[in-house]
Amino acid sequence: MHRDAFYSVHPAVNMAFFIFVMLITCLVLHPVIVGISLVSACAYTVVLKGRKALVFDLCLVLPFIIIVALMNPLFNHEGVTVLFYLWNGNAVTKEAVLYGLVSACMFAALIMWFYCLNSVMTADKYVYLFGRAIPTLSLVFSMVLRFVPRIFKRISLVSRAQRSIAPPMGKSAVKAARHGMSVLSVTVTWALESAVNISDSMRSRGYGLKGRTSFSIFRFEKRDAVMGSLLLLAFALSVWAVAAKRIYFRFYPSIKTVPADALCVIGFIAFALLCLAPVLVNLKENILWRLLKSKI
Amino acid sequence: MASVKIEDLTFTYPNAASPALENISLEVGEGEFMLVIGPSGCGKSTLLRHMKSVLTPHGERKGRVLVSGRELDSIPQREQTADIGFVFQHPDDQIVTDKVWHELAFALESLGAEQGRMRLKVAEMAGYFGLEKVFYNEVSELSGGQKQLLNLASVMTLSPRILVLDEPTSQLDPIAAFDFLTTVKKLNTELGITVILSEHRLEEAMPFADRVTVMESGRITVCDAPRRAAEILYRSGSKMYYAMPAAAKLSLELGLDETALTVNEGRRLLLSMGLPKRRLPDKPAKARAAEPVLSAKEVYFRYEKDSPDVLKAASVELRPGEIMGLVGGNGAGKSTLLSVLCGERAPYRGRVCAEGKRMKGRFSAFDAHIGLLDQDPRTLFSSDTVREELEKAASHRENAGERIDDVVRLMDIGGLMDRNPFDLSGGEQQRTAIAIILLTRPKVLLMDEPTKGMDAGVKRALGHRLTALANEGIAILLVTHDTEFCAEYADSVGLMFDGGVIARAETREFFSRNTFYTTAANRIAGEVFENAILIDEVTEAVRGTNRE
Amino acid sequence: MEQTGNKSRLRLILSLVTAGIVVPAVIALGVSVWDDRRFYIVSLLIIVASMVPMALRFERRRPAARELVVLAAMIAIGVAARAAFYMVPQFKPAVAIAIVTGVAFGAESGFIAGAMIAFVSNFIFGQGAWTPWQMEAMGLLGLLGGLIFHRRDGALPKLLPLCIFGGLGTLVIYGLIMDTSTVFTTQSSVSWELLAAAYASGFVFNVIHAAATVFFLLILARPLLKKLNRVRVKYGLLE
Repeated sequence: MHRDAFYSVHPAVNMAFFIFVMLITCLVLHPVIVGISLVSACAYTVVLKGRKALVFDLCLVLPFIIIVALMNPLFNHEGVTVLFYLWNGNAVTKEAVLYGLVSACMFAALIMWFYCLNSVMTADKYVYLFGRAIPTLSLVFSMVLRFVPRIFKRISLVSRAQRSIAPPMGKSAVKAARHGMSVLSVTVTWALESAVNISDSMRSRGYGLKGRTSFSIFRFEKRDAVMGSLLLLAFALSVWAVAAKRIYFRFYPSIKTVPADALCVIGFIAFALLCLAPVLVNLKENILWRLLKSKI
Repeated sequence: MASVKIEDLTFTYPNAASPALENISLEVGEGEFMLVIGPSGCGKSTLLRHMKSVLTPHGERKGRVLVSGRELDSIPQREQTADIGFVFQHPDDQIVTDKVWHELAFALESLGAEQGRMRLKVAEMAGYFGLEKVFYNEVSELSGGQKQLLNLASVMTLSPRILVLDEPTSQLDPIAAFDFLTTVKKLNTELGITVILSEHRLEEAMPFADRVTVMESGRITVCDAPRRAAEILYRSGSKMYYAMPAAAKLSLELGLDETALTVNEGRRLLLSMGLPKRRLPDKPAKARAAEPVLSAKEVYFRYEKDSPDVLKAASVELRPGEIMGLVGGNGAGKSTLLSVLCGERAPYRGRVCAEGKRMKGRFSAFDAHIGLLDQDPRTLFSSDTVREELEKAASHRENAGERIDDVVRLMDIGGLMDRNPFDLSGGEQQRTAIAIILLTRPKVLLMDEPTKGMDAGVKRALGHRLTALANEGIAILLVTHDTEFCAEYADSVGLMFDGGVIARAETREFFSRNTFYTTAANRIAGEVFENAILIDEVTEAVRGTNRE
Repeated sequence: MEQTGNKSRLRLILSLVTAGIVVPAVIALGVSVWDDRRFYIVSLLIIVASMVPMALRFERRRPAARELVVLAAMIAIGVAARAAFYMVPQFKPAVAIAIVTGVAFGAESGFIAGAMIAFVSNFIFGQGAWTPWQMEAMGLLGLLGGLIFHRRDGALPKLLPLCIFGGLGTLVIYGLIMDTSTVFTTQSSVSWELLAAAYASGFVFNVIHAAATVFFLLILARPLLKKLNRVRVKYGLLE
């Protein structure tokens, strides 16, 4: 079972959250924005999978960040503040170094958000989300999810059976490949026969009649509406601040930023709240539980 | 009024020489429980499929099918979908979606039900069919029995008036099968749903039925109340008599006035005869070879490092020429033991020996002369014709080519040589699969659920063939739920429980001391003939006692 | 699964045009005009937009139950096959299976199979910014396979042209799309030099992938197509 409280929120809200956060992270290359996003993604990873997983994920991401951060100043020589010159006479500028660093963090944040998305947006949520707009494809998707584990199981049974009537393959790659193909081919035949039977059961249960609806166990409740509105509000505030150029950061040719004013601070706070929403939801649930427990 | 009425229906598949259904007339009353029986290929499925338009096969048809007095084809699809529920044979081959809750709602979705109604119906069905605990699960996590209940539940969401079930329990173990049939009976008695059920498990299904329709090669030969039907089959010497419940056979063969159907009825009849208690003489034990050809000694196995042991000190020995049955509940470790014996998995403790040699780690079943037959024989096929299949199998052993003719004769598949193995019937596929395995010259034959989905006649033929193979010196292990088959053909039987083989004994001894894992005959006659396990033995013993 | 009527044909061509021309155009525009990642979002939107007509076409046609399940079975096989070869980088049969589906059932089903194989297998491999690109690339190959080789009578295509198409398609179409996506998702700024560098460094991987597609088409295409035809005949499928 998922221990994450945000997981049980309505899928549309889940999806909206990831779209909002990733859009802003990806489009607004501002050190503070990128920082907020990266830290929140890490915090959420801890909530989802624990500290160990965060260290593991960061170890995967780190080399990538370093490469991106290094690549930019080596290949990009814009910017006016020259730090030093390379062996080939190209300048390494402060702007380019900073740009590389911030974009590296941006990519890191996006990757971390995708890790979170992978644990929150399970396949059934996509089936549901697509169910309204593209019901047939969503059904195909669900059928594929049903088929895949069956096919894996079948492959292992067929492979066992076929190996038992032929000499061992040893280390011969050709034999192994031939065996693999034969197993795949038998599995395909079986899958197609099974498909035909399944289609009988579908038609027997009325598939193809006009006016099909789609059932869902996800109910859009009041808390989803509240949560969704709050996320939308935070998103809108951040976008407003960005659009009004109150959240602004220029790298080239020279670094330029605007002095912080009320809207800028509001924008940052809104974005921070947006990014931390899943963590906050979890905190709230935890506190509520503690209170309830102490009352009992 | 009749719920379903079939008038003089004759049906021929395209390109078929003879009709699959011939002059079928049948009337099923409102709320009736109709059992349709007959050997595989007799046309049961074809007949049942004529009761719903979308399932009716293509071909040439004469005659009429009426449902609630209306011609079937004139009833709109929407109405048919809701009113006539259909459950098929393979639990897996009718589940469409990946989640239990979604599958439950599938039929409702098709008819365009709105959310509120779906929520209610789905909840109601999940409760009634005991699927609440698995409601949010993946379908792939369910057992076979749960899957079939899910299929039934999904159909029941539309509240059909007629339920047609085509061999729904053939892929289930006996406990799940009985559960399923009981649920169907409950729907029949509590909700008055008309049930039309085709079955091979007559021991359990016959007592539930109001009437039994017997089909043989596309015709209805008998249609009567269960007891009467059994009597007619007995008197006419029909092949289907062989499939009757043990109690019915006992009472018919002893010429009693009353025909029993259930174990309890049979038992009371027998007790009322006041026979003296006695033991049947033991069969002379087969001369057993000294050295086992395949053995596992106290093997331990677990799937993952941290997971619990699936096999715990499991031991088993197979000697040349013996047939051993291995029974036990689901999850007792039968399949895992099988995969250890065939070298697919290596135990982390204990030893496996084949032909006297200790096998280390995973090993090749082929090299160890171990043949393995999965419960689905289709896993063995990879060619377009049976002939190619056999030739390919023979190519791996020296001189095996010469044996093809013998094997073909032994398995009686001469007429199938040019057919595609995937187009054969279940029994034919199994014979072909055994032929393929025999060409690899096995000394041991491991069989997983060999009688699954088979009718009584095919089972009997299989039993005779296995006995013949054993007489040639092949050791056979039957991993099965089919106690009746074990009782008839196995020399010894082992019971698996909690990862170990906890009891192994000569077949008669094994079954006569169990109360649950035993045969219907033993349950009927155990109090009089404590070690009788086959119904023929019981009738013989009664006659013998009476003669004295 | 057949293309009937001019209207649907037109729609098919339209979506092809979107996918084949507009996406590269946006990329070019992004590289030369925009200097931030706005073009990444736009190109992503266009990819999604190019899938929408395909999806809607499929939805409107209301495919029969048999067609759906057989398609789902092929997609699942593609997913399983891709997962089965997880330890060999790039050497994957998924593209070959998408192409075979296209050849057997037509361009549209080919696209859907390709896109779906990419999408579903990423639940095993992990979703990421690359998912839409992969869907588009694999879908396109399935679509083109169907467009070029699909015959309504189920006639088997010649193996040589099919393999050449599979190889070139994987090398050029799949390779270019995925290398572009790599630059977009891992570089802080995009220039022609970076793209060229990505294409150059990706070349070896693309060649391996193309070789895999050719290899799998060579040994899988005919048996699979024959099996699909057998089912088609035995059960009167797709008529």
